[in-house]
Order: sequence, then C-alpha cells, then structure tokens
Amino acid sequence: MKSFLAALAFAAIAAFCVSSVLDTIQQASSVAYTTSGARVGDPGNNLIGPN
Amino acid sequence: MPSSLSNLRALCAAIALLFAFAHPAAAQLSFKPTAEAVQEDKLLNALKEGDKITGRISIPDSMASSLIQPAGRDWRDFQRSKLPIIGGVAILGMLVLLAVFLMMRGRIRVDHGFSGTKILRFASFERFTHWLTASCFIVLALSGLNISFGRVLILPLFGAGAFATMSGYAKIAHDYLAFPFMLGLVIMFLIWIKDNIPGKIDWQWIKQGGGILSNGKHPPARRFNAGQKGIFWIVIIGGALMSVSGWFLLFPYLPANVTALQFWTVIHAVIAMLFIAAMLAHIYIGSVGMEGAFDAMGTGEVDLNWAKEHHSLWVAEEQAKGRAPSGSDTRAVPAE
Repeated sequence: MKSFLAALAFAAIAAFCVSSVLDTIQQASSVAYTTSGARVGDPGNNLIGPN
Repeated sequence: MPSSLSNLRALCAAIALLFAFAHPAAAQLSFKPTAEAVQEDKLLNALKEGDKITGRISIPDSMASSLIQPAGRDWRDFQRSKLPIIGGVAILGMLVLLAVFLMMRGRIRVDHGFSGTKILRFASFERFTHWLTASCFIVLALSGLNISFGRVLILPLFGAGAFATMSGYAKIAHDYLAFPFMLGLVIMFLIWIKDNIPGKIDWQWIKQGGGILSNGKHPPARRFNAGQKGIFWIVIIGGALMSVSGWFLLFPYLPANVTALQFWTVIHAVIAMLFIAAMLAHIYIGSVGMEGAFDAMGTGEVDLNWAKEHHSLWVAEEQAKGRAPSGSDTRAVPAE
C-alpha cells in the first residue's frame, strides 16, 4: 500500500514538475512564430491557446 | 448578367492559375483546368498520393505552408471509421474473451491451498515502479480513449459543458503524466530485463498452455513465466512506440512534415488500442483471474504454495540462497 501511495504521489509531483519546466522553456505559438515581418494573433483561451 | 458571368469566368481562371503555380505537382495534373472544369473536388481527386499544394508563408512554421494535402482526408477517414473499429474489436473483444474464460475456467485456485508461509516476491522499489507505470497508464488510457470515443459515448451523457471541461483536464493529465509513465518504463526495463530473457523453459510453459487451462498442471517457471515475459515485452516495446509517437504529438514541430505527424498519430492510436487490450488481460490474471496473484504487487509477499505452483524453479533458487523458507514449512491451512 505504501509503495502504491508513494507511486501516486511521485507521479503527480513529476507531472507537475514537467509541466512547470515545459511552461518555462517553451513559448506560446503566438510568440514563437511571430517575426519582425509577421505577427501571429493570440489564439485566446482554448485548448490550443497559451492558457 | 453577361457582366457577372464574365466576372465569374475571370474568377475561375484566377483560381486555376493560383493552383497551377502553387506547386509543380499541381501544374503537372493530367486534366486541363479550364474555366469550366476547375472545381476543387476534381483538383483534389487529381492529386496523387503524397502530392501537396503549398503556399509561401512568412512565419517560421514550415508546416503552415501546406494548403491542401489529400492524404489528410485518408487520415481523417481512418480516425473516424477504422480506428473505432480497431479499438472496439480489440478492447471489447478482450473483455468478452476474459468473461468467457472466467465463466468456463473459473478462478484459478491454489491447488494445495494456502500454506500460511510467505515469500518475498517483489521488493518495495519494484512495486513502486510497477504502480508508478500502472497508475499513469490507467489515466493515459482513459484520457486517450476519451479522445477517440468520448464524443460518441460520454458527450451525450455529460452534456457539452461538462464534457468539454473534463476533456480539457484529461488532455492536460495525458500530456504531463506521459513523462512519469516513460520514466517508469525505463526503470522497469532496467530492473526486470535480466529475468525476462526468453529461454527453453518458456517453450515448455507455452506448450502446456501455462497450466491455466486445467487444474493441477503447473509447468516449471523461474521468476517470470512465459506469459509474464510476454507482458513485459509488450509493455516495453508497446510503451517505447507509444513514447516515441507521443513525443512527436507533444512536440508537433519535430516531425519533418504534416504527413509524418499524421503517421505518428496513427501509430499512437493503433498501438494504444492493442496495448490497452493486452493490459486488460494482465489486470484480469493479476486480480480476479488467479487466487493469490495480487499479493505479489499488493504486499509484495506471496504464499509459498502459490509460488511453488506457478514459479517452482524460482522458489528453489530462493531457497538455495536462503531467502525463502524451506518446503517442510508449507502446509495447507483452511481458507478464512
């Protein structure tokens, strides 16, 4: 039972840490694909958006 | 009226020129895109496998330059028609098979009854690794099935609002729990590979059907029998394919083009369905299907009689190392 609970806790913590790291090192598409010649609009609050 | 007809013809000609110059492949089409003949459907049908119509873009996303890719229709049809059939047959078929097996064979009992003496089967770190991978797998499987079947099965039950919210959270869980799942796979591979190399003894086990088809027959096995080794390699190979394909879906700018991305989504979906079906069999035999089996991953200790019946060679090895009680200690005790 301890191993099971420890595994659940570790999985949740690891997933949270990964999400934090990826959020830090990745840019939103509206930022990453914007150049000096082209601006990409903020996609807003949906499944593919930054939030 | 003649003026509007003339404008329409001019517009059609302009569209024809646009398509013709957009890509060399489009310019070599067999039919003549005259003003009367140019229709999008005809053009799409004329494009061969692998052909694309691309445009010029000014953002650093090369995939965005694909305007028309006929292979995408095949991919969409696969997602909508073939994939649900593959998933339905694999998962429902496995459930039916297991139900029939349980009805015909019943629960596999310990022939000599429980001895009351325990032997350590899996150490705490092994159980931790198993449950890490298993718990992530369950969430990944359910959230993945929601992507394939949720709109048909769950949306009518939950309603649009609740389904959208649930699917949003399920997608987040799917994306991020994939990483501890991959970690679990790597650890599992490292700690159990040495016990999962196929050998001659496994062939004997397979020839006797693992002894699960009749009472009292127990082919010899070391720590893992051939069935468990099969599950191990399904998890490792299937998990590796899921990880690689999932990596490309998580980071969709990594594949070379849209076609490659679609290829990996197909691999991800098909392997997932087969993987889930295989794991249903694993869950069944580790819980309902076999008496005493769950203890191995529950407490880590199994009854000595259970171990002798299913892993006789492993018990002998453990006894020789002094890590297991001797055979004289075992006696059947009445079930509580």
